[in-house]
Order: sequence, then C-alpha cells, then structure tokens
Amino acid sequence: MLEASFTVLNPLGLHARAAAQLVRLASGFKSKILLSRPDTNAFADAKSILSILTLAASMGTVLFLRVEGEDERDALEAVDRLFGEGFGEI
Amino acid sequence: MAKIGGVIVSHGQVATELVAAAEAVVGELDHIAAVSIGWHDDVDLAKEEIERAIKKVSQGIGVLLLTDMFGGTPTNISAMFLKENEVEIVTGVNLPMVIKLASHNRETTLSDLAKEVEEQGKQSIYRTSALLEPQKMRKDA
Repeated sequence: MLEASFTVLNPLGLHARAAAQLVRLASGFKSKILLSRPDTNAFADAKSILSILTLAASMGTVLFLRVEGEDERDALEAVDRLFGEGFGEI
Repeated sequence: MAKIGGVIVSHGQVATELVAAAEAVVGELDHIAAVSIGWHDDVDLAKEEIERAIKKVSQGIGVLLLTDMFGGTPTNISAMFLKENEVEIVTGVNLPMVIKLASHNRETTLSDLAKEVEEQGKQSIYRTSALLEPQKMRKDA
C-alpha cells in the first residue's frame, strides 16, 4: 500500500470534467485508489466520478491518496502527474 | 457485455440537455436516449416516441426510464411501459442520476440499478451552505 498527499492546483477545483479525467486514469489500473480529505473526513473512490465530486475539493484543498494493488506504484505516479499538471488546466 | 439501456423523458428540452451534459462529462453514451415531450405534443405521438427510444437503447437486459417529475405527463406516459425485469422508471431525474446510469459497468440487474440510481439522485442533493458550516453540521448529526 502506498500513500501520498496532493494539493488541488486547478483554479476550478476538482470539478466534473477534471474528476472524469481522474476516473479515466484511475480505471486503467487494477489497484484500489482511495482519496480522502482530512479537513472534512470525506472519502472517495477515485474510480467513481460521483464519489469524487462529493469531496467538493476546491483549489488549494489538500487530499490524501491511498493506493493498494499490484500496479500501485504506476498508479500513484500517474495520479501524481495529473494533480501536478493541474489536470491540464494550468 | 450488454448494458442496461436508459431513456430520459422530460417536458421540453431538459432530457436532451441532460444527456448532452452527461456526455460532456463521461463521453459518448450510445445506450442512453432522450425524449423531450413538447408542451403541446399529442399523447399518442409521445408514447410512440418513447417506445421507439426504448427499442433503440435496449440490449436485451432491460431499460431504465428516468423522468423529470412524478405525476407529470412524461412520467405518466412512461408508466404505460412498466414491465418487470424489462422496464423500470425512476422519477425526478438529475445529472448525477444520468451519470450513475451512464457509468454502471458491472453486472447488475435492472431493478438493482433502478434502486442505485434512485439512491444516487437523493444523495446528490445538498443544501450547500450546510457544507460550509461544519460545526453546525456535526451538531445536527
């Protein structure tokens, strides 16, 4: 199991299209990918868009990621890149 | 793998636009159709249109109709097609319900999916100001 934390960098936050991008990326991995938001105790499955949207993560929100599975390292790197690039919006 | 089909039925263009919005989020949806019933449309014509849409999206394992408002004409006409294991209806459609219907990908039965979509629709409604008052929310809970 791997863990990491990210800050939402895109100005519009983790909105519907960004969440859809994350779902498409996450669904390509076998690992379980869980996002959590410590300030509200909210959890989300990174493979479910409706689940991600309930995090209501705006710009600057810190999210924790937990990845577990055979391809966890690749999955973590891919998600890290997506967040780092601000979902292509910055 | 066969997918459960979906038809969104509404007054005016709401259905068409809901499907368009869902497609903008999750990609093209060839197993979901929209039927917009005009305010002055003939009931028989509307019924035929819904029937055509059901046939178009059906892959043999059921079709879920999502209508805009319980008691309204789109729901009442849709109700004529209710049939166990073949056609189910959930009313009060919103965008999260369409996305839920669009993104179901595991083996599920029509009646289970109908329940999940109903639940999703209800859970997706927030009084947003309540989310900005975490202290108060804890007290309410």
